[in-house]
Amino acid sequence: MKNKNIKTILLVSFSFVLVLSITSATPQSAYGAKTPKADDVSDNWIAEDQAKASKRAAEVVPFVDKVVDECRLFRQQKLRKMKLSVNDIDNSYFLLDSPIINKEDDQYGPVRFMHSKHAASVGDCSACHHYRPADENALETTRCSACHQESFMSDHPERVGLKAAYHLQCMGCHQEMAEGPVDCIGCHVKKVPDHADFVKLGVNPGAIEVTKECLRCHANAGEDMLSSVHWLWEGPSPYTLCKEKKINHGKRSTAINNY
Amino acid sequence: MELNRRGFFKVMGATSALLSAGMGKARAAWVSKAPPDPYGCLVDLTRCVGCRKCEEACNDANSLPPPDIPFDDPVVFETDRRPDEKTYTIVNRHSSGKIDDRDKLVPVFTKVQCMHCQDPACVSACIAGALTKKENGTVHYDAGRCIGCRYCMVACPFEIPAYEYTNPITPKVQKCTFCFDRIIREGGKPACVAVCPVEAITFGKRNILLVLAKNKISDLPAKYIQHIYGEHEAGGTSWMYISDTPFEKLGFTKVIPEPIPRLSETVQHSLFSYLWSPALLYGLLGGIMWTTNKAKNKDKGGSDASS
Repeated sequence: MKNKNIKTILLVSFSFVLVLSITSATPQSAYGAKTPKADDVSDNWIAEDQAKASKRAAEVVPFVDKVVDECRLFRQQKLRKMKLSVNDIDNSYFLLDSPIINKEDDQYGPVRFMHSKHAASVGDCSACHHYRPADENALETTRCSACHQESFMSDHPERVGLKAAYHLQCMGCHQEMAEGPVDCIGCHVKKVPDHADFVKLGVNPGAIEVTKECLRCHANAGEDMLSSVHWLWEGPSPYTLCKEKKINHGKRSTAINNY
Repeated sequence: MELNRRGFFKVMGATSALLSAGMGKARAAWVSKAPPDPYGCLVDLTRCVGCRKCEEACNDANSLPPPDIPFDDPVVFETDRRPDEKTYTIVNRHSSGKIDDRDKLVPVFTKVQCMHCQDPACVSACIAGALTKKENGTVHYDAGRCIGCRYCMVACPFEIPAYEYTNPITPKVQKCTFCFDRIIREGGKPACVAVCPVEAITFGKRNILLVLAKNKISDLPAKYIQHIYGEHEAGGTSWMYISDTPFEKLGFTKVIPEPIPRLSETVQHSLFSYLWSPALLYGLLGGIMWTTNKAKNKDKGGSDASS
């Protein structure tokens, strides 16, 4: 068991050092000159549609108090007769990052919602646009956050808040269609806390120290690694210098740099 | 006074008549101390997806110790858990007995925590006034007043209060606080409610939630079972549940539909009001002693005279 632990330590620290060396080897240091691409791709660069989507996500639209109570099938037929299709979509991509949700808690990154893709594959606008505002001048298909805003409004106890509306709609449909993710990290990126607060290492730590520090919290990850093929692989190595005749060359047996 | 057999029965008869009259009067006089417009939570079990974010949020909001098994590990569902001194709320997985169209058992997840009864048995049982029912619906625990008698644990029909047996110096009774400090603020919600991704828990005034629950059930009578757990259980609770599976199958205790303290307080207040029953008992005993002593003295006196 002890031997196994040491091997885990060796292994994980090896991968850590590898990552460090890759990240530190920027083009500048490697070639001594800036590549032309490095100028364009700065850290602040955001794709055009992403910038548009974030701007749109930050908007809070006026609340729709009354909706037309239509039967689901009737509405489906109505939208079909209107010949609404993917071509009518103005925004093909949304970032579901409303400030209405974010003021409560912010454990996960925003979902990137492919509006056009969903519209094309579902083919039924009424699946999500299930009611329309009572105001006749309003758009037939309004955005989710027009009707669903705060949770538990005393005037509309039956109406769910925006966060629940998204989750119920997405997960409900994914479950029903047996397609698409229904777990948290299927749609969201989990916000990882800043590890500068957790990692306690001295100046110039050794590889083994670094691995030990990682394993202090991520003991299970180390155990898992030991039963994965990344650790267990082995085989002949006719082209590796000094190991030409080995038939069981592998990570756990003869490879070096196993911290 | 000569207490013969006839006289004794006369006295006892009168006493019991008085007692029952007193009991009857007190029973009529028992009034609920339930707040008129408390907050409540309505849990729609058909919506819960078992993500256990509520457990995590509760742990965080109340600064509870970290759990043995991480919050994102579904292995905890293998055992049926109860809230304890380190966890105020837990989510259990039950089987609805139904199979979905992909031949998988449909699970039902149930959240368990203090129900915050309208007339709480624990508050009635607490002899130190550490537990109180607040106007906003919270059953509030004040550790400074608690003497550690654990009567609340015996009294609770839902078996919720837990005790820190491992803390010998300053042990506390632990249970859900209804996030009292949060909900007294304007727009504040309990931590578990705020975090729930699917709004399986609706937070609001209990009276409004009851209407909402009834509307939900009558709108979809084939989906929901015709029962709001917590509407009448133990005289009504602040936390209420609606479900598509009978509550008996989901580990919900069957509780009498009247306030638990009604009977105990009636007995208590009628037997011991103004200490009349001990006074009467000791009065009777004193009377018997006095008469027997008198008879004894008489006998003694008689024998003295004869000798």
